[in-house]
Amino acid sequence: MVLTNEPPVREVTPTPPPRRRTSRLGDRGLAALFISPAMLLLLAMSVFPLLWALTLSFTNYSATSSAPAEFVGFANYAEILTSPAVRQRALTTLVYVVGAVTLQTVLGFGIAYLISRRERGRGLLTTVFLVPMMLSPVVVGLFWRFMLDAQFGVVNSLLTSVGLQPVEWLTRQETAMISLIVVDTWQWTPFIMLIALAGLTAVPRYLYEAASIDRASEWFRFRNITLPLVWPLLLIAVMFRAIEAFRLFDLVYILTNGGPGVSTETLSFHVYKVAFLGFNTGTASAYGILMVVVVIVLAQIYLRYLNKLKED
Amino acid sequence: MRSERRAGRRSLPVRQARLATTAVAAAVATATVLGACGGGGGTAEAGGATAPASVPELTDEPLTLSFIWFEWPPAQALEDFANAEYTTERPNVTVEVNTVPNANWHDAMFTQFAARQTDFDIAILDSQHIGEAVTNGNIVELTEFIEGNIETDAFDPYLLAAYGQYPQAETGKRDESASMYGLPLLGDTWTMIYRKDLIGDEPPQTWDEMIAVAEQCQADNPGVSGLAFHQANGSDAAAVTYNTVNGLYGGNLWDAASRQIDGVLNDEAGHRAMDVLVNEMKPLTAAGSGNWFIDEVNAAVAQGKACIAFNWIAASGGLLDPEQSTLGATREEILDTLGFATLPTQETDLVPLGGMGMHVSAYAAAEHQAEALNFMKWFLQEDTQKKWAAAGGVPSRTDALESPEFLEAGPFNQVYADSVSRMRDMWNVPEYARLVDIENTSVNAALNGAMDPREALDTIAVEQQQILDSSGSGGL
Repeated sequence: MVLTNEPPVREVTPTPPPRRRTSRLGDRGLAALFISPAMLLLLAMSVFPLLWALTLSFTNYSATSSAPAEFVGFANYAEILTSPAVRQRALTTLVYVVGAVTLQTVLGFGIAYLISRRERGRGLLTTVFLVPMMLSPVVVGLFWRFMLDAQFGVVNSLLTSVGLQPVEWLTRQETAMISLIVVDTWQWTPFIMLIALAGLTAVPRYLYEAASIDRASEWFRFRNITLPLVWPLLLIAVMFRAIEAFRLFDLVYILTNGGPGVSTETLSFHVYKVAFLGFNTGTASAYGILMVVVVIVLAQIYLRYLNKLKED
Repeated sequence: MRSERRAGRRSLPVRQARLATTAVAAAVATATVLGACGGGGGTAEAGGATAPASVPELTDEPLTLSFIWFEWPPAQALEDFANAEYTTERPNVTVEVNTVPNANWHDAMFTQFAARQTDFDIAILDSQHIGEAVTNGNIVELTEFIEGNIETDAFDPYLLAAYGQYPQAETGKRDESASMYGLPLLGDTWTMIYRKDLIGDEPPQTWDEMIAVAEQCQADNPGVSGLAFHQANGSDAAAVTYNTVNGLYGGNLWDAASRQIDGVLNDEAGHRAMDVLVNEMKPLTAAGSGNWFIDEVNAAVAQGKACIAFNWIAASGGLLDPEQSTLGATREEILDTLGFATLPTQETDLVPLGGMGMHVSAYAAAEHQAEALNFMKWFLQEDTQKKWAAAGGVPSRTDALESPEFLEAGPFNQVYADSVSRMRDMWNVPEYARLVDIENTSVNAALNGAMDPREALDTIAVEQQQILDSSGSGGL
């Protein structure tokens, strides 16, 4: 062992280099980079067309016309809001939305309630019920059109086989709207069912157990436990369905083409005619904007109600 | 501050739902409005392109000449015929006939015209579409080209005018000084299809007689309806039906010179025609036939469910196919049962003008436009027209119409040849699409009990007049 008298050399800890400006992105920059493709897509595909349509809605622009567009102020909006034709389509749309969404809510919740009470086969049943929702509305419209055909359709065959009179499902004013509601209900009841089922399975089991101990009736448990806890979720599902139903186009186009006459012509179908038959692009843009405003206003009122419900 | 407090009060699911609502609303906006945006506010060139007096130099490079039409048997027949015959002259060319459903036909063409960019070189337009396409500069003017390349004397003047002239030709005539924008591709009109085994070999001669025969036939043959005709509210289905009856009972669709519809369409003859259609003809149709168009009428005939039917000749070929019919095991057996005749007459002998013309897209590339012109010149030659007739097409040249190739190709071809001088068209104006939609919906409503017939005709007249008076600008 060698000893030295030299003072021990203190090893100098290297000081960290001064913080330099790095070319690497910070968290915020990275976040911006990641969301920018989606933002650009949103801007290009949603925001820009919306703003462009808003601009066109104040003009008399026609997509096919060679004539330049002229600024017309609120003339398009005034024309739409005072038009008896639009009022008639609005009423048709309202009847359809109320009829379809009510029926879907009742059926959807009922099916979900029944499924939630089952211990076995719940997954399979849910999957089977979801099948209509996975189909394209155009395909649904086409095969229902065949099924509802007054002469060759399977529905009338069933009716006549049990001694009932065949029905002109798609060509009578009284039945055409009912047919639309039934077909839409067939396809979209599963959506309500799915949301309701999620709410029903989330209800804590101990609440039911406590109610059982108190010998509460089935109806009491449903009214005081199940319904209050599922209700807010159900209302959100109803809102989504109502918005979807409000802009119904495809089923009308395939099943009735708005007929007989214009008795099943919804607002969206009417916008389509204004935009693509008459190519009154400015009017159609104003029409579309007004529909959006209606949806937003109604949704806001609805959400306020939901919020109040939750606070209460 | 107030807004912060309010925001803070909002529970998370509700806020999410609100965001979702806004997103959905934006989607609604996009879906609803995007279509209405069209091509934006750019200004297009006023007027249209003009074709040269002769066919420009053609390319030797491979080229696909594209047509746009609606889905029906003649579309496939045209593609097969052109690829078999035209390619012998132009081996580097492939002909493609793209089709869309009938209800989308107008929209499919005019949305592309609106974008000033087409994926077709030749648009097959209904005669009534010409005004809209010409006014917007969507198709090439062919006046000089036709003068230099087409034997105009070989055609019935009205037939040539109906598919190409703008402003519209007066019924039965051609204005030699008017501009031409198209050439005939397929002639067509309605034929009366009747059950020889049920009503006899001789077809009824007047419209009133036809109704009486149909009524008797329906009474004698339970399960078979007296009549089958177009009633749908899509395309021009119900409108053509009413216009046909209107013409036969002496009515007029409008006064073209003064652009007057109200008071002309709904005059006494017009109301009589609507009454005949709704109260005398409709009760003789099958229940639920209120949305029938070409295919449904053919199906009713092929399945033996109608005594008398009316349909476009060009769509009637399938009726003779034993695989699609219950009326016979062979074509001959079917022909023993089915007869084809020109429409009965009444106050007049007018029949509807059908068929379509070829129109060169103003937005097609130069070499494609040149090829399109060459195709049209080739197509309207005498020998090509006769081959087209033999292939199942309906030619337009008088010599081809009178040729055995045409008259022997189908039992309804004589009907067409006999109907040429009786044809009447609808309005060929830029506002056509809206005019026909108004008529379709109201006639369909009257046929299906959703509207009183008299009220329906008056509504049509008033609404159509408003469209004409506003020159199509604005309006709902």
